[in-house]
Amino acid sequence: MIETQWYLLLSAAVFSIGLFGILVRESALIYLMSIELMLNAANINLVAFSLQHGNLTGQVFALFGMALAAAEVAIGLGIILVLYRNFETIDVTVPTTMRW
Amino acid sequence: MTGIYDLVPVIALLPLVSFVVALFAGKYLPKKGALAGIAATGGSLVLSLLVALTVATGDTAGYNETLYTFLEGSGSAPFSLELGVLVDPLSALMLVIVSLISFLVHVFSLGYMNDEGETGLPRYYAGLGLFSFSMLAFVFASNILMAFMFFELVGLCSYLLIGFWFREAGPPSAAKKAFLVTRFGDYFFLVGVVAIFATFGTGAFAGSESFPHLAEQALHGEHAVNTFLGLGEQAWFTVIGLLVLGGVMGKSAQFPLHTWLPDAMEGPTPVSALIHAATMVAAGVFLVARMYGFYALSPTALGVIAFVGGFTALFAATMGVVKQELKQVLAYSTISQYGYMMLALGGGGYVAAVFHLTTHAVFKALLFLGAGSVIIAMHHNENMWDMGGLKEKMPVTYWTFLAGSLALAGIFPFAGFWSKDEVLYETLIHGLGESPLLLGGYAMGLLAVVFTGFYTFRMVFLTFHGEPRTDVAEDPEPVRWNVKGPLVVLGVLATVLGAINMVPVKKLVGADIDFLHQFLDEAPSGFLTSVHHYTELLEVEAGYGAADIGTTGLLASAALSLGLALAGAGLAYRLYNVPEPVEHTDRLGRVKTLLMHNYYQDEFQVWLATGLTVPVAKAANTFDQGIIDGVVDGISTASRFAGRGVRRIQTGVVRNYAALLTLGLVLLVAFFGVTGGWF
Repeated sequence: MIETQWYLLLSAAVFSIGLFGILVRESALIYLMSIELMLNAANINLVAFSLQHGNLTGQVFALFGMALAAAEVAIGLGIILVLYRNFETIDVTVPTTMRW
Repeated sequence: MTGIYDLVPVIALLPLVSFVVALFAGKYLPKKGALAGIAATGGSLVLSLLVALTVATGDTAGYNETLYTFLEGSGSAPFSLELGVLVDPLSALMLVIVSLISFLVHVFSLGYMNDEGETGLPRYYAGLGLFSFSMLAFVFASNILMAFMFFELVGLCSYLLIGFWFREAGPPSAAKKAFLVTRFGDYFFLVGVVAIFATFGTGAFAGSESFPHLAEQALHGEHAVNTFLGLGEQAWFTVIGLLVLGGVMGKSAQFPLHTWLPDAMEGPTPVSALIHAATMVAAGVFLVARMYGFYALSPTALGVIAFVGGFTALFAATMGVVKQELKQVLAYSTISQYGYMMLALGGGGYVAAVFHLTTHAVFKALLFLGAGSVIIAMHHNENMWDMGGLKEKMPVTYWTFLAGSLALAGIFPFAGFWSKDEVLYETLIHGLGESPLLLGGYAMGLLAVVFTGFYTFRMVFLTFHGEPRTDVAEDPEPVRWNVKGPLVVLGVLATVLGAINMVPVKKLVGADIDFLHQFLDEAPSGFLTSVHHYTELLEVEAGYGAADIGTTGLLASAALSLGLALAGAGLAYRLYNVPEPVEHTDRLGRVKTLLMHNYYQDEFQVWLATGLTVPVAKAANTFDQGIIDGVVDGISTASRFAGRGVRRIQTGVVRNYAALLTLGLVLLVAFFGVTGGWF
């Protein structure tokens, strides 16, 4: 059986890729994907610990996380659509008018 | 059973009805509301006479009932605020005086206002009606709060009537002055009313639960009251008495709040008669008489009243000496005469004060109405130097005016002699007794007698004697019955009214003819407003013992005041009863200038307002705007300034937030790593 720390390493890698995407890319669509990656890194953690402890709770939480991600994508795509209509672009660095 | 006492509120309500009628239907009525007013005040007069008769002869000489409670006492404020009726000999007498003068003034107004073709008459008669209503209700008020309410209404009515000719320059300003000066005194009165309620929990004037009686019991330790400012009972009662006295001094035009009254001459003359004789100005003195049981407990307050009164009597009389206008002389004589009443009240002469109030109401109304008659004849020229020789042209006015003048000057046997003599006599015996300070007030009052005699007869001689000095005085406009009628009634009264209280004669021959004294003494014993009760209070609480100066002293006192009055009148006779009089007061030089300018009291009060109050107000405004608002504004400016700098960290770029979040997380992990010993 594969040891738990490998799952954790995988999870950390996936999370870091997502974070990297958020920090360097400008497209809102890439943002959505990056957030998806970070969410799934968390799911991997949950499932991995569930396996280690022999307890199903973690897996239930992972299912919840996936449903949440689906909902979040729906809203996120809506936001991106509005963004495009208002700013003619989906570059997240352009809309800065909602600060003060 | 409906007794006459149940109709007492009607006495006041009748003029209120005439007020409403004149105000809303006046312009459709033939005499513009005058007839309604005459009917109403005539009705009031009849009812008042019946009430006075019942008080004098009936089984119960008083009535003290609550009509309407508009605030029930409860919890922390265990006193009720109510409207009530208090009839005792004092208020019965005053009801008669007020309704009589008011009735005659209404009749006189037919001649002075209607026949002269004035406009705005419904407003005028409405004002008279409301004025009579307020004063009558004030007179039978059963508690001090109700008295205060109607006291204020009286002030409002005087404002409306003094400013009746509001399109001219003078009257509105005089009306405002009258309103504001009396209001200044009323501030103190209002504080005094609150103090009375806070101290005693009641404002009732009469009865065993009334505040004068509670105060008396408190002094004997039989009843606990709340005192304030850490003062003892006696000192605190003095403070309350002086606070209420503020309102009295404003309304009764006592120094230093007298300045409104001469200016109030801008109003129509019948209104002046009403204000000076029976309503506005009388209200102040009446209030002191009404709560005399309270003042009698405080020798300090009595002393202040006596001194203010004596000083005002003298002070105003000196100013009357140089005035050139008929009504101005009368105005200063009013201030002076009310000074006498205050002197009497402060000097322990309760009956004397009420007596002088009664006779003064009659002869001052007479003099003002006589002056009004002269003014009609002179086509509204009031300067006495333009008159002269009116004696033959208008005999009715002359003889009645003369009767009033003799009464004012205090010449035997006219009404004013008896009352003024009693005022001075009472002050003298109490001064010689155990309160020598009163002798100062007595001396001032005595000196004022000379001036009174002088200015009164200067006025009479200048107006009626000598040769006519202008064409109008050659051929004055005739006056009708509605002017002469009231003059004759009042002239007869001014001649004989002294008979109601001939104390000196009583003491000489032993006959029981001090009717007013007996009448006032008939107050039901439960009311605690009778004369013997007051006398007892004065002796026991205020230490006012009367000296026995015997018959010789009595005669000497009477002869002295009569002699001084005759001296003043004689001097006026020598100087002014000549065909072509000249202004002898010019010889006074700078003193005359001082007197003509009323001792610069007006200028002084204007200076108080513009020279003292305005700078203080400006400084207070600067403090408010600069310091108080400055601190508040400073705090908000500082936070706004700080906010403007700090908000820069909000870029609006979501990536920056994410970067900061990540940085924070990394730093946190590093921190725990270092401190947790991971490396």
